[in-house]
Order: sequence, then C-alpha cells, then structure tokens
Amino acid sequence: MVFLLAVLLAAAAFGLGPGLIAAALAGAVYDFAFIEPRFTLHIAHPRDLITFAAFFAVALAAGWLAGRAKDRAGRLQDQAAAMAALLEASRALAGASTPDEAAQVLADQAAEVSDGPAVVLLPQDGAMRLAGAPPGLSALGDDALGAAAEAFAAQAGVMIAGGWTFRPLEGVRGRVGVAGLRGADLTDGLVDTILRQGGVALERALLASAAAENEALRQADRLRAGLLNAVSHDFRTPLASILGSATTLSDYEDSLAPAVRRDLLRSIQEDARRLNQHIGALLDMARLEGGALKPARELTDVREVAGSALRRLQPQLAGRSLRRDFARDLSLAPADPVLLEQVLLNLLANAAAHTPQDASIEVAAYEDPRSVLVSVEDDGPGVTPAELGRIFEKFHRAGPPEHGGGLGLGLSIARGFVEAMGGRLAAVSPVAAGRGARFVVSLPKAAPMPRGLL
Amino acid sequence: VSFRPRILVVDDEPQIHRFLTPALEAAGFEAAQAHDGAAGLAELARHPPDAVLLDLGLPDMDGQDLLRRARAFYQGPVIVLSARDREAEKIAALDGGADDYVEKPFGVGELLARLRVALRRAGAAPPAGAVRSGDVEVDLSLGLVRRAGERVRLTRKEFELLAVLARAEGKVVTHRRLLTAVWGPAHEHDVQYLRVLVGQIRQKLERDPAAPELIVTEPGVGYRFLGEAD
Repeated sequence: MVFLLAVLLAAAAFGLGPGLIAAALAGAVYDFAFIEPRFTLHIAHPRDLITFAAFFAVALAAGWLAGRAKDRAGRLQDQAAAMAALLEASRALAGASTPDEAAQVLADQAAEVSDGPAVVLLPQDGAMRLAGAPPGLSALGDDALGAAAEAFAAQAGVMIAGGWTFRPLEGVRGRVGVAGLRGADLTDGLVDTILRQGGVALERALLASAAAENEALRQADRLRAGLLNAVSHDFRTPLASILGSATTLSDYEDSLAPAVRRDLLRSIQEDARRLNQHIGALLDMARLEGGALKPARELTDVREVAGSALRRLQPQLAGRSLRRDFARDLSLAPADPVLLEQVLLNLLANAAAHTPQDASIEVAAYEDPRSVLVSVEDDGPGVTPAELGRIFEKFHRAGPPEHGGGLGLGLSIARGFVEAMGGRLAAVSPVAAGRGARFVVSLPKAAPMPRGLL
Repeated sequence: VSFRPRILVVDDEPQIHRFLTPALEAAGFEAAQAHDGAAGLAELARHPPDAVLLDLGLPDMDGQDLLRRARAFYQGPVIVLSARDREAEKIAALDGGADDYVEKPFGVGELLARLRVALRRAGAAPPAGAVRSGDVEVDLSLGLVRRAGERVRLTRKEFELLAVLARAEGKVVTHRRLLTAVWGPAHEHDVQYLRVLVGQIRQKLERDPAAPELIVTEPGVGYRFLGEAD
C-alpha cells in the first residue's frame, strides 16, 4: 500500500507522466525487494506478474485521474488569471482620461496577454498615428503605417506588415483605431476580448475629449463675447464722455460758466481713470487666462496690504463709513502682496459699486488655526441667492450695466488671483437682517518663523 | 523767482511731452525734452538738469541700461515712469539708482509732489539731526524717538530700520536695501523679518497701526517714510 500511495501522490502532484515513472519505479523496487527470487528483477511466479501489472494499472489510473484534476486546476488557474488580466485591463482603461492615455494602456495590456509587443494607432489627419507603444518604440516604418491605415480603412481589416499583425479596433459607434501585435496568436480569446474592450474604452475617451474641447470652445466664445461687449460698450462710454467734454471745452471755451468748465474737466479725469481701470482689469484677466501668472510666495502681513488697498481706494470710498477690524497679533501668510492688494481693491470697489453712499464697509483681518483671513463686508442690499451663484463669473454684472460700473470682471479676477495663491474666496449674503454681503479671502498659513532675529 | 529748476523728460511719446512741458513750466520749472535714450544721455552729459523724469520703455535703449550709464556721471535725482503692474521693473530701477517712481498713467499733481521731494532732498545733505512726521520725531544723531514729546523705547533693530527710512524721508526704500542695511546681505530675501519689524514699529508709533501715516507700504516694492512736507 505504501507503494501505491507513493504512485498516487506522484501522479496527483506532478501529473500523468511522473505518475507512470513512479509506477515503474515502485514496481521495480517491489519486485526487487519482495517477490521471490528476492534481490533480482526477475519475476518467477505468474501471480507476481499480476501484482506487478496491478501496480501499473493503479499507477496509470491514479496518475491519469490526478493529472486530469491537476490539468483542470491549471486551466481554472489560467482562466482566473485571464479574468484578472481582463479586470485589470478594464480598470486601467476606465482610468485613462485622454485617448492617448487609453491607447497606451491598451497597448500595454495587449502586450501582456499576447506575450509580444503591441501597438495602438489612432487616425489623425487621414493617416495613422502611433498613440500607444511599448517602451523604446517611438515610430513605425512607412510600410507598417500603411498597413495599419489599410486595416483601419478596409472592410475585413486584418493586415500584416513588418512583422506586425494589424487589426481594427471597434467601438460601439464605429472603428476607432488599429491595434498591432507581433508574433502573437490573435485568435486567443483573451487578446480578442481585451482588444474589443479597448476599442470601446478608446471610443469613450475620444468622445470625452471632443466634449471637453467643445466646452473649452464654448467658454472661449463666452469670453470673446464678453470682451467684445466690454470694448464696445464699457470702453466707448467713458471715451464718448471724454471726447464730448473736451470738444465742448475747446469749441465753447468762452461761453461756458466756470462751474460747467470745472465739471467737464472733472468728468474727463474721472472717465480717464475708469478707462485705466478697465484696461487694468482686462490685463489681469489676460494674465489669469494665459496661465502666465506666477504668484510670489512672500510671507505677507495681510493687514499691511489691506491698509494699502484702503489708502489707494480712499477717493472712491469717500462718504461711506469705513471700519478696520484687524487682529493685533496676526500670523504671516505666504502670498503675493501685489496680487492680494488687487484682490482687496476689487472687493472694495465691488462693495462701493453695490452700496448706497451712506453705507458702511468693514475690512477685517483675523486668523483660525489653519488660515489667515481678510474679509470685506458691507451693509448694502446684499446679493440674491440666484445672483450669489453667478457673481464670480466673468463679465457677469448684477443688474443692468450702468455708467460708472466696472466690466464685471473684478470678482472673477479676485477669485482667480486668490486661487493662484493657494487660497479661497467665498461670498456670503445676506449677512444680517436680510442685508449685506461679505467676501472672505482665506490664505493658508505658513510655518511659524524663528524668533530672536528681531 | 530767479531760479527755475531744469527738468529733463526722457520719453518717446510726443503726447507725454505735449502735456508735461506746459505743466512743468506752469509749476515753475524749466522743461527739456529728449525723445529717445541716446538723446537723453547726450542731453544729460551736455547740460546736466536738476532732475530727470525717465520713461523705462524707450525704443532704442533699455531704460535700466540708460539709468546705469547715466549714474556713471550724473548724480541728480531720477524719477522713473513705470506701469502699475511692473513691480520687478520698479525695484530694478530703484536698486539701480533711481530716486523714486511714478505709475503711469499719472496725474500731474502726483508727479510734481514726487519731483519736489526728490529736488528738496537732492539739494540738502541727508538728514543727520531730527526727522519729524506728525507728532513723531526721529533723532538720528542721538538715536532717540519721541512721540508727542514722550520718549518711545524701540529695540535696536527697530531703530536701525526706522533710521534708514527716515534718512530717505519721502523716498521709497526697497525691501532688499532695508534688509541688507538692518540684517546684512545674507538676509536680503527675508521679507518676512521686515513685515514683523515694521508691524512692531507701527504699534509703537502710529496713531492707528491699521491705517499707517508714518511708514507706508508700497506693495511688492518697499516702504516709504512720510515726513513733515510729504
């Protein structure tokens, strides 16, 4: 029995072949050790021959059974691996956000399951472009590219060139690209499945990128429309007033009362300042949109910057009661003082534009454990909930454009600048008793600075 | 009036000369014009003016370059004209020897105020005695500060910083220059030291530290001590 067990184990562990060898060995040893004449391989008795044959039969049967079980387990293991590869492939494909990323993922996955390099090509301007390739491969030969293009265009579509087998990748709506494999069996079900799945993923990525492009175009259109409106209306209005006042002064110099002359001169000054502000806003917007904005990261005392902004805007705020509420001890925050000043100037100008002459405006500077905050709060009519969601949009203006208003860029620029500095700008309205608006700039704090140097 | 200070305006825009020349003359100055950098340098060498207004955006020559070459032989005040969003340009000009800057576009009143400060300071030796501003008196020779007649105790570093600003009274002093003067060249980028120290001085000397009238901030550029006449 010991011998039978050994045969069984050998067959179960290593398959049919090793089982038979074990049976032969076991038979030989049994014969040698136990069958008379002992210590020879000679079999004298027909009964022993039967024993020996039984040995082999058992070994064969056990080995065959065990081997089959093992082969099945192996196949199951292969299938499990294939499922895992497929799952991994679909997860990686779903994670790809651009068509090129998806193409690269697909090329990697196809290479992995086909045991050979794989490439993915996408159509571009009537030719095929290599979008996914194994490391080290940056271009395909002309004949390979031609074959890929034919595979993409032809009905049946499988083309062979330069050692590559090209086959089209199908999405739900149509053909999206071509996969090329080298020396791998394309009839293997797993490769097929991955390519099918990849085709769909690629199609999805292509559609998503087209949608993003459309959205970008729509936004650019909106911006252009706003810009045109700004230039045609907001720039022309003060210009019209300047030209009108100046020509009135030069044509009727002598017949104008001194008070009227002074008023016309003042109007020229005010409108020239307004034009200058419009230009500043457009330039700020262009800096934000162009991505050329590189904010400085200086440890800044926001109280200082707020004080400077208030000083600069004093003339426009005249009449409104101003309150400063600055914490006596305040951490420094890494910020760009010039950008931060512009942010506060925009917030103050916004408060001035939307409140009556006798309103009060409070600027506060304080901190919480994580951030330094500056707020600009007014007790004007406030912002309606519907408006509140839109006030940071470019060229958005509360109410009809009026002479003396801004371009509708101030808050959008303010938010852009604050975010460029790593901070946040939030709006709250109403603040109290159904009135007022509060804008809060929060800037993340810096690590504490070593004492003793002051 | 026998003495009319002569002001050289170096700017390539005819429109700027067109209003600056009558404005300067109406304010009691004599105006000289140069329409590009080469003409400006030549005029500076031939008839050194009492002060220069220099536009940094010239067609033939970098304004900073002109400033450096002019400083080799001309010691009078130079005020540069620069756009609002060009902090780096202003700082380079100030560190390169300009006395002050005015942001374009500017009102004539603002320009003349800066010009008068520069001329007044150019005529006299740097203040060595006491500099006053409101009820604050900075005694540079004795190293004391009084506010409304009462002595105010400043730390050594606080006084050093205040003294640098007071000596340059009316003029903007760049962060770099202040940091180098008080902490040494190794700390020329540590603007945060300045912020804290200026904050401390304001707490001790300003009537309302939140709305400073003595040391005002020029964001991104430096600080300015506003004296009696400013």
